[in-house]
Amino acid sequence: MGEVIVVTSGKGGVGKTTTTANIGTGLAKLGKSVVLIDTDIGLRNLDVVMGLENRIVYNLVDVIEGTCRIKQALIKDKRNPNLYLLPSAQTKDKTAVSPDQMKKLADELKEEFDYIIMDCPAGIEQGFKNAIAGATRALVVTTPEMSAVRDADRIIGLLEASDMTKTELIVNRLRPDMVKKAEMLSSDDVVDVLRIDLIGVVPDDENIVISTNKGEPLVGSDTMAGKAYMNISRRIIGEDVPMLDLYGKNGVFSKLFSKFKKKD
Amino acid sequence: MKNPVNIKGTKSGIIVALDDKMPYDELKEAIKDKFTASSSFLGQAQVAIAFEGRKLDDEQKYEIVSIISESSELNIVCITEDDPLIEKKMSQAINDTLHERDSKNGRFYKGTLRNGQVIDFETSVIVLGDVNAGAQVVSKGSIIVLGSLNGNAFAGAGGNNHAFVAALDLNPTQIRIGDMIARSPDKKSGKKKNEPQIAFCEDGNIYIEAISRESLSDIQLD
Repeated sequence: MGEVIVVTSGKGGVGKTTTTANIGTGLAKLGKSVVLIDTDIGLRNLDVVMGLENRIVYNLVDVIEGTCRIKQALIKDKRNPNLYLLPSAQTKDKTAVSPDQMKKLADELKEEFDYIIMDCPAGIEQGFKNAIAGATRALVVTTPEMSAVRDADRIIGLLEASDMTKTELIVNRLRPDMVKKAEMLSSDDVVDVLRIDLIGVVPDDENIVISTNKGEPLVGSDTMAGKAYMNISRRIIGEDVPMLDLYGKNGVFSKLFSKFKKKD
Repeated sequence: MKNPVNIKGTKSGIIVALDDKMPYDELKEAIKDKFTASSSFLGQAQVAIAFEGRKLDDEQKYEIVSIISESSELNIVCITEDDPLIEKKMSQAINDTLHERDSKNGRFYKGTLRNGQVIDFETSVIVLGDVNAGAQVVSKGSIIVLGSLNGNAFAGAGGNNHAFVAALDLNPTQIRIGDMIARSPDKKSGKKKNEPQIAFCEDGNIYIEAISRESLSDIQLD
């Protein structure tokens, strides 16, 4: 029996879709069978980030309306044979689907796949309600900015009022250099406000832009963001992985520096 | 005296009720008078026509239709039989005839089609603008884009494999022609081809070629 996870944030542009694509791909690389569902009806782009746009024939609304079978609408990933995408419809709007229908769909997919990951639209309206309907676990994505944290707090409140058994936090696009200069909130600051478990911190990384434009998630690659997403994927399946060192405290140079400092 | 010629309108056509006793030549005159008098009322619609009340042979039917055409501005598309299911048959007949004409006709669409927009035409369509990624053009006939085609094009939507798709810059996400489907390659080729291209169906495959005298001469419009 699989687990249904919703990736949500409240605020737009904080990296829900990037996170969904990378965590989904990461879980698939760890040998799990995964379905990603784009629930942002009318403004889809998970398919673009995954590089699967040109394969779309049927979509979520077709499945819900019974125009096609689920299997027909699932698009197999280019690289990972156990990863599938259910794309959203581009020409309909959020009202084409109801929370009950989403729950039924999620329950059906749960029978066959290890993880079903819902990419939630921004906002707290119908699209959000659809996305969380079938989910029992939520990943709340925020950036270290007050506006995003404020929206995340609102979302967490709404999630607490639903059937979610686990709600965990991802702090995205953190810039260690700015945190060091106290110009940006640290992940600890964010956790202090939101008071939920932190499942990962993803540093701001220009490789994300490159990977999004190429349509190839960078999880598992030798980049800071790639490593951070792989760690989050491992934590999701229950592995105990230490937090990535973003501040270079244990790096070669800081070790050298600390030695010099001791001599002084 | 009872009127020898009666016109009954239905949704997609007219039924002409004729007196069965009146001599044929007199009846023709009556028809002419009746339609001349009703011409402005009937307008210029495209209609199917049926006769009732009198047995007519084919020659007489065509003679009467030509009288009606001359004395009114109606565009008579076809003749249907007098039948209890006459209304159904008429609309069927008018649809079939118009559909056949449609796939050979074209309509213009002016403007850029953006992500999420769909246009769906019974006829062929010529887009004066770009079709952006995420937009879709559907046509029962062929599709010509005088601009860049980056979205989806679905030609021959009724199952016509002879339909084609052409664009000044043909770079679609997906092309469907009749029951064939082709998607763009995953690796984007670096060089941009600055030539108009045409996509067509042959032996169960969709091919894309530069528009040339040869590629155009292979097009079948039926």
